Amino acid sequence: MSLSMYLLRRLILAVPLVIGISLVAFLIANLVPTDPMAANLGERAAADPQIVAAFRARWGLDEPLYAQYFTYLRNLLQGDMGTSIRTRRPVLDELLRYMPATIELATAGILVALIIGIPMGVASAVWRNRPIDFVSRILSLIGVSAPVFWLALVALLVFYLRLRILPGPGRLDAVLAAPPNVTGLYTIDSLLARRWDLFSNAVSHLILPAIVLGAFSAGLITRITRSSMLDVLSMEYMTTARAKGLSERTVIIGHGLRNALLPVVTVIGLSYSNLLTGAVLTETIFAWGGIGRFAYDSARSLDFPAIMGVSMLIALVFVITNLIVDMLYYILDPRIHA
Amino acid sequence: MRRATLLVLVTLLVMTAFGGAVAQEERVLVVGLSEDFHRLDPQRAYEPGGSLIHKAVYDTLVTFPSDSASEILPNLAASWTISDDGLIYTFILRDDVVFSNGDPLTAEDVVFSFNRMKNLKDNPSFLADTIASVEAADEHTVVLTLTQPDSAILAKLIFDAFSVVNAEQVRAVGGTDAADASTTDTAELWFNDNSAGTGPYVVESYEPTVRTILVRNPNYWGDAPYFDRIIVQNMPESATQKLALEAGDIAISMDVAPDQVSAFEANPNITVFSSRSDTLIFLLMNQDPEIGGPLSNPRVQEAVRYALDYEGLRLLSGTGTETPAAMVPIGFIGAIDPAEALTRDLDRARELLAEAGYPDGFTTDLRYPDFNYIGTEFGLVAQKVQADLAEVGITVNLVPEEFQTSLDAYRAGQQGFSQWLWNPDYHDALDYVEFLPAGVVGNRANWTDENADPEILALRDAVRVESNLDVRNELFRQIQLYEQESGPFAPLFQPGVHFAFDSALQGFNYNSQWRVNLALLSY
Repeated sequence: MSLSMYLLRRLILAVPLVIGISLVAFLIANLVPTDPMAANLGERAAADPQIVAAFRARWGLDEPLYAQYFTYLRNLLQGDMGTSIRTRRPVLDELLRYMPATIELATAGILVALIIGIPMGVASAVWRNRPIDFVSRILSLIGVSAPVFWLALVALLVFYLRLRILPGPGRLDAVLAAPPNVTGLYTIDSLLARRWDLFSNAVSHLILPAIVLGAFSAGLITRITRSSMLDVLSMEYMTTARAKGLSERTVIIGHGLRNALLPVVTVIGLSYSNLLTGAVLTETIFAWGGIGRFAYDSARSLDFPAIMGVSMLIALVFVITNLIVDMLYYILDPRIHA
Repeated sequence: MRRATLLVLVTLLVMTAFGGAVAQEERVLVVGLSEDFHRLDPQRAYEPGGSLIHKAVYDTLVTFPSDSASEILPNLAASWTISDDGLIYTFILRDDVVFSNGDPLTAEDVVFSFNRMKNLKDNPSFLADTIASVEAADEHTVVLTLTQPDSAILAKLIFDAFSVVNAEQVRAVGGTDAADASTTDTAELWFNDNSAGTGPYVVESYEPTVRTILVRNPNYWGDAPYFDRIIVQNMPESATQKLALEAGDIAISMDVAPDQVSAFEANPNITVFSSRSDTLIFLLMNQDPEIGGPLSNPRVQEAVRYALDYEGLRLLSGTGTETPAAMVPIGFIGAIDPAEALTRDLDRARELLAEAGYPDGFTTDLRYPDFNYIGTEFGLVAQKVQADLAEVGITVNLVPEEFQTSLDAYRAGQQGFSQWLWNPDYHDALDYVEFLPAGVVGNRANWTDENADPEILALRDAVRVESNLDVRNELFRQIQLYEQESGPFAPLFQPGVHFAFDSALQGFNYNSQWRVNLALLSY
């Protein structure tokens, strides 16, 4: 099977998946035993039948549930995700506003995790039970178990307040204006606008939250890489590779790591999806206006259109990252071609 | 690798220096705020955080002093008269006021703004319920006619929703004050990136959940503010605000948690400001015996009020916390002296319980929203209530609930014994008539015209329409004395609110409506 056929099949499978997710999200959002009216109208407005009626009519809450769902699907197909009850802005605009910030942070986070996790995992496996292994195991344990909240505040306290070598919360210094919006990623947009000052500012603002966000994934990737490498290192083809007279470097990286990567790729894919959708604490502490915080605030005020929009987006993120992971499998493991 | 890091750091240092230079040429104030507003259309304003912005961008006909709600002062209206029957308010506008785009302010703008607010039928529209009509008698005279005497009307007019906008400008972007405004007005989103006011600042940009930038209004009619630019930076976490204030990146932290106060006080470069809030945290005891059980008994309700350890309760909310004497919070004209508040009297409470037929007490549930409100942990307060009532034999089972779920039951009047809070809709004691029979909160305790004393009903009806301040204060006094003895509520306390700011900053004042008037700050 060719790569394009393989991709096409995965894409077609994704369609019922996305529709299913929309249905489940819609039902769960509506099964909550509370009324969005209570969450979005003030005490006095909620006691005024006229205002309540105007509110229900404006947000379509006076229609039966199935009608609301079909209206939603129909609008969705036309690219209309509705209007947020809480912010009164189109949900699509909101997602486009907040998602780039999260993509930028999550990508930086997963890069941190990869740069730390894979070499540490490999080194840990190769020098098993040696000091480097102990250090890496302790670090990965800390990464996996340290609460994000604590880690973020300690990181800010040390590097921002005490040492003053990294900037504080936010995506840019408060006095700087964002670069012209092209992708929404400040690092890329500032490069496109040739604003080197903004670029370095944006990068420096990314460092701390990326490390904090990536810490858990780094720990996880270190552990998986280590155990997967240990399995591979005991394989007979490793002995064969050495017997052929290949350099130790080629043996470890070319024959060892490449074969050990399959489970690691799965974990990276999952971690990246999680970072893209579950960064609410990091976003809160670093005042990073991203999708995690938007999802949290929308859920708290029972903002159905926004909750639906975020659910669809999360579904899409998982579908896409899974697709990429599958593609990597296809490339890394020739057996899938069959 | 190391060289690259160094490069970033050097660039950063250069930039920080550069940023500092810019800040000196242009006077910039950066405020850290846990952003609690989502839109900036003033006529739809009903979110507490938005007042900070609206106060800087818009003006109202009348206003409060910058540090209290103790009197009504002229603002856009230079003077006003009230007809003898209390139904007609005539405002004479200042003739030197212009909007930020240079248009002069006229009575038509006021008419448009008020009607738009009323007809949008949005959150604040109920504030216009007593307004029958608003008309422009001439270019600078506005005549407000009421449906009934409303002694709170001037206080209501100070609320953001009555901000005066430039009618022509707002109409041009889809705004309307017509009766069908709730479906035909399309100006809401425009207000997120623009403003149309007469205030000292204009909205330059608003990036939701990131920051709001205000710049000086070049056409401002009053004294020019000190800062050229104000950046209200969203920092949802108060621990982050603390770090940013200590690092000097923000000049004010708007959301100081009670447990941070002592840490700030040790720092001479930072000033802490604490005040009591207008939020009233209270207990509700349902009047309906089916729902309230023993707590619907007036003797039991009084016993609960005597059994509470108010002093101990206040400790749960830190500096600035105070207990009002009854259900009108301290700071409102008409509230009686907190020195007259009930104090704990366990013997009296036990006596009352015995009179009510519960000499050995009883068991009840206490329902409350399980959340933290401006630093006050509701669960902790409920535990204290539980411990206090245990001393007179009442066994309380704590029932924490998810906020929205609990709110639904509370609004539907289904909670027998619960712990809630009330924030004023406008800064006048009349808002607390809602705690009387058939009021918004009274209904939630099933306290109705049918089951209430004629005495309290007469007081309620009299105070609603009384416009003589002395008579009104006396009526409020009797209402509060009544509430101490009878009725389904027990006041717990008004939690403190805390701010921290750069000690060099001048002009910081707290007003419970808009919190801080940013235009009065300077270095």
